[in-house]
Amino acid sequence: MSRVESRETPPEEEPEARGPADHQGPGPGGADSPASPVAVAAPPGDRTIPPVTVPAPPVATTAPAPPPAGRSRWGRMSAARRREALAGLAFVAPMLVLFLVFRIGPTLGAVFLSLTDYRLNGDWTFIGAGNYARLLDDRLFWEAFGVTALYTVLYVPMTVVLALGTAVLLHRTLWLRGFFRGLFFLPYVTSIVLAAVIWKWIYEVEDGLLNSVLGGLGLGPVDFLGSESLVLPSIAAASAWKGFGYSMLILLAGLQSVPREVTEAAVIDGANGWQRFRWVTLPLLRPVLFFVLVIEAIGAFQVFDAMYVMTAGGPVRASYSLVYFLYDSGFKFFDFGYACAVGLVLFLVVLVFSLIQRRLVGREVD
Amino acid sequence: MARLRLPVLLVLVALVTVTPFAVMVLVAFAPPGGRTLPGALDVTRATWQNFTDVLGGADVLRWALNSLLYSLVSVVLILLFASMAGYAFAKKRFPGREALFWAFLATLMVPFQATLIPYYLLVAGMGGVDTYWGLIVPTLANSQAVFLMRQFIVQLPDELFEAARMDGASEWRVYTTVVLPLIRPVLATLGVFVFLWHWNDFLWPLVIGQSEAMRTLTVGLATLEGENVTINQVMAGATITVIPCLLVFGLLQRYLTDSIATSGMKA
Repeated sequence: MSRVESRETPPEEEPEARGPADHQGPGPGGADSPASPVAVAAPPGDRTIPPVTVPAPPVATTAPAPPPAGRSRWGRMSAARRREALAGLAFVAPMLVLFLVFRIGPTLGAVFLSLTDYRLNGDWTFIGAGNYARLLDDRLFWEAFGVTALYTVLYVPMTVVLALGTAVLLHRTLWLRGFFRGLFFLPYVTSIVLAAVIWKWIYEVEDGLLNSVLGGLGLGPVDFLGSESLVLPSIAAASAWKGFGYSMLILLAGLQSVPREVTEAAVIDGANGWQRFRWVTLPLLRPVLFFVLVIEAIGAFQVFDAMYVMTAGGPVRASYSLVYFLYDSGFKFFDFGYACAVGLVLFLVVLVFSLIQRRLVGREVD
Repeated sequence: MARLRLPVLLVLVALVTVTPFAVMVLVAFAPPGGRTLPGALDVTRATWQNFTDVLGGADVLRWALNSLLYSLVSVVLILLFASMAGYAFAKKRFPGREALFWAFLATLMVPFQATLIPYYLLVAGMGGVDTYWGLIVPTLANSQAVFLMRQFIVQLPDELFEAARMDGASEWRVYTTVVLPLIRPVLATLGVFVFLWHWNDFLWPLVIGQSEAMRTLTVGLATLEGENVTINQVMAGATITVIPCLLVFGLLQRYLTDSIATSGMKA
């Protein structure tokens, strides 16, 4: 309401504005309230504290009583530094609170719960590595791990080859490049659920698109999602269609950063298109390619949505992924501690992928 | 010959890419029962019937509104909180700044699924199951958004902010009148990403919204098939789901593609 009004407000309002914060002292804890949206929407009648200035942490205090704990640190600061520090804390505060409660909290919670047998009834005892020992003996877990690994091995090459192929095509052409780039990128902005719903129909035995085409050629019908050996490649292909646009953009940017002189020199040396790509472009593209491979592998290991929608993990758990196993442990069997242990395994796998990438790319740079 | 190969390949790949969308639309507009391909291809018999059926039969309209609310409220609040935090991390010295920023970064390594159970138990314990705040508020803690904001703001020259402060502007005024206008491009970019993240989100809405009325469009679409609904209606629902993505993409494609190419942001 009074953003305009406050423009005329002289800087002298600060002594009044100091009021509310004095109760809290210039400690970090008191810093978040001034920045909250509620404080911004001060009642119109409140003359002394114009809304817009309220969020400014009023800290030019002369004789406040700082919290004992922070005495030395805050005491040593100049008034201006203290003011800046409080402003900083006030601006971080909303996100910081959310972050502590909803990111750090669950992360520590996952580690802790994985060491307990916490279940739906609320009772729990500390069982140390009990859940992890149970995982080692759980055939279902190893099956799910195997399915996820196989899916990753199928999905990553499909996606990266598709992405690299389209990136090279786009790089070599000038004809409607923006148009085609947008078109290839289109599936990526839709949801995996949408892709799963459409492809489920495409794969259908009765009158799905693929089997209609195969039938026209005198082949089939093939039960893509009902066959234990075809289900993972089929889901991977649908996911690759949905996902390749991201890697395509990264690889395209990588290709465009290859200096033109390098490829031109290869042309002069008589290298043909394939040789130029294989011996000049590809080596230069390696760090980008590693990045894309690892990002896609990390994503693939977390696969769940596509399987939930297309096959519900079937047939006979042939597409029952690690996250599906986690989901069922938690929300079907309410075996929360156990599900958290699965989550930590997932985290470790992702961590290993990231470390491998850092090692490889790091060596590349050296 | 060789010169023609490139465009031909491009067009072929483009056709393969578009085909699933095309069959979705064809089946959505085909008369009920015309699910097999020849029937679906008969454009002269196109009908809106599947759309009116699916909108009338299930809670699709409600789901669409839920998705819209989830996405738009998240966009506004994440842009606000992340830009505030990013500004502080970039331009304000305060105790613990580096440690906090690294903590934000470190959580990027933890997959959401790995913390799903405690995340759910926490929100459920707060009474957030089947509520809008339970759906939205936990997802506002977005480290990636803070990171992007901080990286952008840190390269803006300090003088821009100092000048305003010399003029006696309060910290909040500096933020609203100097910082926000300067970061408009990154707000647009991040806005697109946050919108798509939430519009396409599946796992969190699936576990936190347990009644039919609290489903989002993606969750609803996934459950449509199990119910007594024809494939034509499912595809009509799918078409409705994809429209906002296409709109956002059409209007803001530049922001999206440029930022992926330069920063590797993942939608």
